[in-house]
Amino acid sequence: MQQEAFANTEDFGGPDIVAVSGNNARPGIDPPYARYELGKPYDEMFAPDGRPRLPYAALDARLSTLSLEELNRRQQACEQSFLHQGITFTVYSDNQATERIIPTDLLPRIVTAKEWDRIERGLTQRILALNLFLRDIYSDGRVLKDGVVPRTMIYGSKHYRREMRGLPVPHGAYVNICGSDLVRNEAGDFVVLEDNLRVPSGVSYMLANRDVVRRAFPAVFRTMGVRPIEHYPLELLATLRSLAPFHEDVSIAILTPGVFNSAYFEHAFLARQMGVELVEGRDLLVNDNVVYTRTTSGLKRIDVIYRRIDDDFVDPLIFREDSSLGVPGLFNAYRAGNVMIANALGTGVADDKAVYAYVPRLIRYYLAEEPILENVETFLCREEKSLKHVLANLDKLVVKAVGESGGYGMLVGPHASQAEREDFARKLKADPDNYIAQPTIQLSTAPTFVGGGVEARHVDLRPFILHGSETKIVPGALTRVALKRGSLVVNSSQGGGSKDTWVLNQ
Amino acid sequence: MFYSIRHITQFRYSAPVRESVMEIRMQPRSEGPQTLRSFQISTNPRAQLYAYTDHLGNAVYHFNLLREHEELRIDAQAVVEIGLISPLPERLDDLEWGRYNNFNLHDDHFDMMGASKFARMSPELAAFMRIAELEKPQGDPLTALVKLMRGIYDSFEYESGITEVHSPIEHALGERRGVCQDFAHIMIAIARSWGIPTRYVSGYLYHKGARDRSRADATHAWVEAWLPSLGWVGFDPTNNIMPRERHVRAAVGRDYADVPPTRGTFKGVADSELSIAVSLEPTAAPVRHEDFLKVARPMSSATPTYSMPERLYHHQQQQQQQ
Repeated sequence: MQQEAFANTEDFGGPDIVAVSGNNARPGIDPPYARYELGKPYDEMFAPDGRPRLPYAALDARLSTLSLEELNRRQQACEQSFLHQGITFTVYSDNQATERIIPTDLLPRIVTAKEWDRIERGLTQRILALNLFLRDIYSDGRVLKDGVVPRTMIYGSKHYRREMRGLPVPHGAYVNICGSDLVRNEAGDFVVLEDNLRVPSGVSYMLANRDVVRRAFPAVFRTMGVRPIEHYPLELLATLRSLAPFHEDVSIAILTPGVFNSAYFEHAFLARQMGVELVEGRDLLVNDNVVYTRTTSGLKRIDVIYRRIDDDFVDPLIFREDSSLGVPGLFNAYRAGNVMIANALGTGVADDKAVYAYVPRLIRYYLAEEPILENVETFLCREEKSLKHVLANLDKLVVKAVGESGGYGMLVGPHASQAEREDFARKLKADPDNYIAQPTIQLSTAPTFVGGGVEARHVDLRPFILHGSETKIVPGALTRVALKRGSLVVNSSQGGGSKDTWVLNQ
Repeated sequence: MFYSIRHITQFRYSAPVRESVMEIRMQPRSEGPQTLRSFQISTNPRAQLYAYTDHLGNAVYHFNLLREHEELRIDAQAVVEIGLISPLPERLDDLEWGRYNNFNLHDDHFDMMGASKFARMSPELAAFMRIAELEKPQGDPLTALVKLMRGIYDSFEYESGITEVHSPIEHALGERRGVCQDFAHIMIAIARSWGIPTRYVSGYLYHKGARDRSRADATHAWVEAWLPSLGWVGFDPTNNIMPRERHVRAAVGRDYADVPPTRGTFKGVADSELSIAVSLEPTAAPVRHEDFLKVARPMSSATPTYSMPERLYHHQQQQQQQ
């Protein structure tokens, strides 16, 4: 039942060959890397001495034989393909929304089997601990009683859903779809920057990037033993099915906020790939505690909803009264077990900045294991020792308010003036519980085709974890890239692009 | 003491609406001295009712109506028994403050200590606390709460129509007038600022004489504060009384937003008009059917009666054994 994802399967480069590596081009000197700057951060492709790392050898050999014009042509072919397929995202501006293609980069990012093994084990461990944590705080609250996590942090969180207390969820799996953001530090180790446990997006770009980049370097792709990711929609479908209490004729729908949502393409894409309904809130109704979708031939029952709208908007009867995106009565149908919702409600309490800092402790608490993937070092200002350290090192740290996102209530120490720092220190002392601090993180750099040449740009890595009756991670990820020189902001809404990520067999 | 309660809620719409969905929190709680003896609820147009118990132990009924309707009526009837209430001490010792510790406080208490939608600190409230000399609790927690209740009672006039159901407390604070809901929210916010777990109670009050300021034909609201050596203790700042056998508790929550008697949505373009009727009367003890059921025909002797032909009955018994 696997469908061909994209209409066009033709190779962009025509017949490709894998060149034998000879005199390699050197970064910063030879084309196509003439403008490539190797800095202090870890570089994905080049070792500090300028030689390509082993996994990149075949790609480097191929790149060295291609003219910049040819690279440019292939880059444009990739972009054309995105545009033709409508792989777009929406940028919200003052009063209108514009659709753009997400900039895709020609050059793949490579992750070795050994690196992937650690990522996979680390993320599996992490999602296990986070799900146990969610089950705990929505039932006995053992972790709170034991004083591992302060109560005020949970009860004070706007994402804590009291309605979920005592409500069982299938397999104890609250987070069914997770997208965790990893970055590689200067030592070359992957660390977790953020867990996205609510409605993580980007998986369609992971699949779309593979489709075009595979065709831009067909021979290199074939020889390198890149692990497939095309089965992601089937794994997602299996995960959603595993949530239903019965296993035949499970009727599934993706609940989207609508066409004006930035990720609407993805919602439509996944629905098509899985062969399930794509619905908006107004397409659904609840009658006698059962959820139905309105179809041209009457009402059709829905058993599992993969919702891509926030908790607040899911059900105006229970959450935000003014929500026009949700379905009145949906939560009570969920409570009665007549419909399953993925992700469960109330998962947001576990992915805010303060809880993030506790995840290593949660792993030790619930699993009695050491974390396989480390966090970015985080200082909790609610702890006196950390607060002292933060106040003494304000010029080196990034301080963030835990309840805020999108850069509000934040101090970037190295870029702030003395007056700003002093002002912020006062705020910190007045309400230390509300702040965390982290060192400025140097994301690793990867070769990126920009402005007709190959340059180093900062990247992160977002793998997608599925967790239903079992945990599955498709061997791939969305590599987000900050297209502006020196920028560390990889968000697609802020001029970020993305890259295909090749996880190797060996 | 038995009360019979009738609570009718009627929505009228200016144009036909459809797909009404509604939650109801009206069923009196059955705990402590209060026992629920019977409860019936019906809707017109008729709907299938479902129920669940929320995490605070409130019974919640809900239903939906797909078809178009211009009117929706919910009729709830309850019989409640209020048993003996043990008297409260005059005051507690000053050590009571120290008993608000992690050993005594549990999950349910912590949730009643932070800010909630309607009961939260604000500059207006802080100003009121200064003027009314309520910034710091005076005496032991019980004495302080009694003083607080009295302070609110003395500072505000009871007047309906000044505030609305969704009014923030600043409205009543500015006007120095309001209704039971406003007074409850103000008392909760102040008690919580002192570190006392405090919750909102929605229910009914049996009015006796003219001393009560709240209206007899409406639902009532008051607060409960948690005292380590006494448990949850009620305070009615609207009437400056400690709830005893005249208060019937229906639901508890952090504030009004957790426990509105009805909450619903509908589809359609229409204005809606809400009418409410509440009556609460003492009643005789409801007669239990066990007490007046008389045996009309004793059971016959032991010959078994098969409701199906005997041949079939035996045939069914000859099942294969595994």
